[in-house]
Amino acid sequence: MQQFGLVVIIVALGVIMSLFAGTHLDRVSGQTVNNFLNPSTLIQIATDTSFFAIMAVGMTMVIISAGIDLSIGSVYAMSAVLMSLALQKMTNAAPVEQVLVGMALSCGIGLLAGLFNGVMVSRLGVHPFIITLGTMWVFRGIAFVTTKAMSILVPESLTHFAKANLGMRRDLFPVPMVVMLVVTVIGALFLQYTTWGRRIFAAGGNIEAAKYSGLNINRILSSVYVIAGLSAGIAAFVGTGFYGASSSGDAQGYELYVIASAVVGGASLNGGKGSAIGAMLGALLIVMIRQAIRTLNLDQNYEWIIIGFAIVISVVLDRWNATRTQRRLVQARQ
Amino acid sequence: MPILSVHNLSKRFPGVQALKDVSLDIQEGACHALMGENGAGKSTLGKILAGLYQLDEGEILFQGKPVHFHGPLDAVSAGISMVHQELLFAENLTVAENLCLGDLPRKGPWLDRAEMVRRSKEWLASIGAQIDPLQVLGELPISKQQLVQIAGGIGRGAKVLIFDEPTSSLSQAEALKLLQLIKELKKKGVTCIYVSHRLEEIFEICDTVTVLRDGQLVDTVSIQGLSRDDLVRMMIGRELAASLEVHVTATMGDELLRVENLASAGKFHPVSFSLRAGEILGLAGLVGAGRTEIAEAIFGLDPVANGVVYFRGKRISLKGPIHAMKTGLGLVPEDRKHHGLVLSMTAKENVSLPILDRVATAGWIEPQKERSIAQKFFDKMRVKAPTIDASTAGLSGGNQQKLVIAKWLASETEVLLVDEPTRGVDVGAKAEIHNLIRGLAAEGKGVLLISSELPELLSLATRLIVMREGNMVGELPANPTEETVMRLMAGVSNAMAG
Repeated sequence: MQQFGLVVIIVALGVIMSLFAGTHLDRVSGQTVNNFLNPSTLIQIATDTSFFAIMAVGMTMVIISAGIDLSIGSVYAMSAVLMSLALQKMTNAAPVEQVLVGMALSCGIGLLAGLFNGVMVSRLGVHPFIITLGTMWVFRGIAFVTTKAMSILVPESLTHFAKANLGMRRDLFPVPMVVMLVVTVIGALFLQYTTWGRRIFAAGGNIEAAKYSGLNINRILSSVYVIAGLSAGIAAFVGTGFYGASSSGDAQGYELYVIASAVVGGASLNGGKGSAIGAMLGALLIVMIRQAIRTLNLDQNYEWIIIGFAIVISVVLDRWNATRTQRRLVQARQ
Repeated sequence: MPILSVHNLSKRFPGVQALKDVSLDIQEGACHALMGENGAGKSTLGKILAGLYQLDEGEILFQGKPVHFHGPLDAVSAGISMVHQELLFAENLTVAENLCLGDLPRKGPWLDRAEMVRRSKEWLASIGAQIDPLQVLGELPISKQQLVQIAGGIGRGAKVLIFDEPTSSLSQAEALKLLQLIKELKKKGVTCIYVSHRLEEIFEICDTVTVLRDGQLVDTVSIQGLSRDDLVRMMIGRELAASLEVHVTATMGDELLRVENLASAGKFHPVSFSLRAGEILGLAGLVGAGRTEIAEAIFGLDPVANGVVYFRGKRISLKGPIHAMKTGLGLVPEDRKHHGLVLSMTAKENVSLPILDRVATAGWIEPQKERSIAQKFFDKMRVKAPTIDASTAGLSGGNQQKLVIAKWLASETEVLLVDEPTRGVDVGAKAEIHNLIRGLAAEGKGVLLISSELPELLSLATRLIVMREGNMVGELPANPTEETVMRLMAGVSNAMAG
């Protein structure tokens, strides 16, 4: 299993946190509770992870195709605020209607923004870094102008949806986690078992060979940005409902967390390599490191330094492992 | 006294022995030709002398002293410069900047632009080239870029200039000018090493010629008194390969492919030919004759190609490989690492790439179906890899090539365009690939075979088309003599010998 190493690290980090986190007395039940290993902290970590992870699954497909999408955080913000603005005009509609329209709007806007990125990347022949750097500001700007820099509240029905208990304790909100798991599983199946997923790997691994094999390169390259945009739309819908409001500053800087998650999860910026489950685990690891700093009472000022090193080290280890495998293969041949 | 002596030089590349135990002397002030067929090792020898490659065994003496060049700069400072086949320049910089790149003049910490321009003007004038030193190099035509290279070499005090196929991308008039310049350089005492397979040029400017064949020395002889026929014979002079006798007489079927006036500006002039089921049509020619370009145009990889191609009487679109594949064409490309395989994917995934839709239902791959088809052709090609799930990056060249062929067999093409199928492939795999190509024809497929190895073409092809410099110069029936084909390829005689 490709992600075995990542799972080991995450479990080890979990064990360390459980052992050193200390305990507190629960006010309601009067029982001693581990500061890390308790349902609300775990679900909290899963919730924090979910918004990154949903987008990281989309991002990992872009990276597999040897591209990059810097606009993903801006697509999140644009989807969130345009949906919120539209729903303001639907305050009298039925709750179910609000949820469905919101979902369709948020996903649709994300999808269209992704299509715009995709068409630009595949038709203009300009590096996706530049295209999405541009659209990162354009989409963020659209969100800023349309909201006039104000925070937009969404109808309560969306919050009821995003914070549903699903039969769990009243203070637990598992919906973002469930959406994350569903997106990850669909993403993994898509990459592993569909012809389209396979074509993304081929185009990213060797675009020339893919062309010589009769693949429609333009369509493949466009599609990954559509998927990334859609993932941002999904995350925006869940996130906006969860927090009850949206603003043009939402998800600012998330693109780097999302790219880092995909890369820590095994995606190679050279293309041809990556996985949806890895991307989710990568996001989980980054959020857990952040959590560990709080739980273990480390100086929070060091958070960025620690996360930065963790990302670089995990990628170096991965590369080192790949070279070793490669060397073994060559030796086996001789 | 020879200015350059090479003793027992050998050079290996992964999978090929490029040069084996080659020895020669080059006299001071001479123009010395290095000749041989494609892959004979002449360019490799030139590049070793210029410090671009390092030798494995042997010794090079320059002006009587042993030298070891660790890179081209060592060679240049010793006095050996090379005019490359592919020009190696910073195309975004000016002529002057390129000429002074290794040794930029400075005034304190600043670049001395005036001195740079002055030096460049002086160097360019020394070979009579009229080029503005401040022009951006990439904007100049190839012939002028070549002059800049020569000026750079002479300006840095080169005693030996190595020309690697210098006329291959020049027009007739430009080539004549270049040959004139080489004659003048020779008068000034510069030793020239001239790598080419164009006979006329060799006879016009060279004094001596060293012929290489399959990486080994054939002989070094004086041009005087040498006839063209002698030289051609030295170049091909191997005994007829044993496999030539297993010639299969094709049972001809229907016409599969008809190409009418297919042309691509700057690559090849209009060609017309047809291919029948059961036929192996060979495309012979030297490097740069336009053979690969024809195959790519038929397969829809050349956006500017025009002409008409029929498949079973129906006109096919040249707009992309997708259209070519749909009608039943496949292309085994020359460069398997860049065009043939996705090295980050497994053997199975590579084989199934063009036929994904056939092993899938509604876009979902059926693993069993994919596996069984991939396995079938993996076995048929006898690819030596642990399993079909093996990574392709670790496979040898021969096995990678077999996989590329397997990929197109799996897609059940009726016409296969095969470009250099055995380049860099070991002997065993080579024989297997030969048998496979014969087998395909016997099954009633049409094969268009491009190969730079004449014996291979002669033993496999049931008919031959000869290309020279983008022109179709002859069509020969099965079993022509090697000499006939070579003459046509090199343009020795325009008569259709046969």
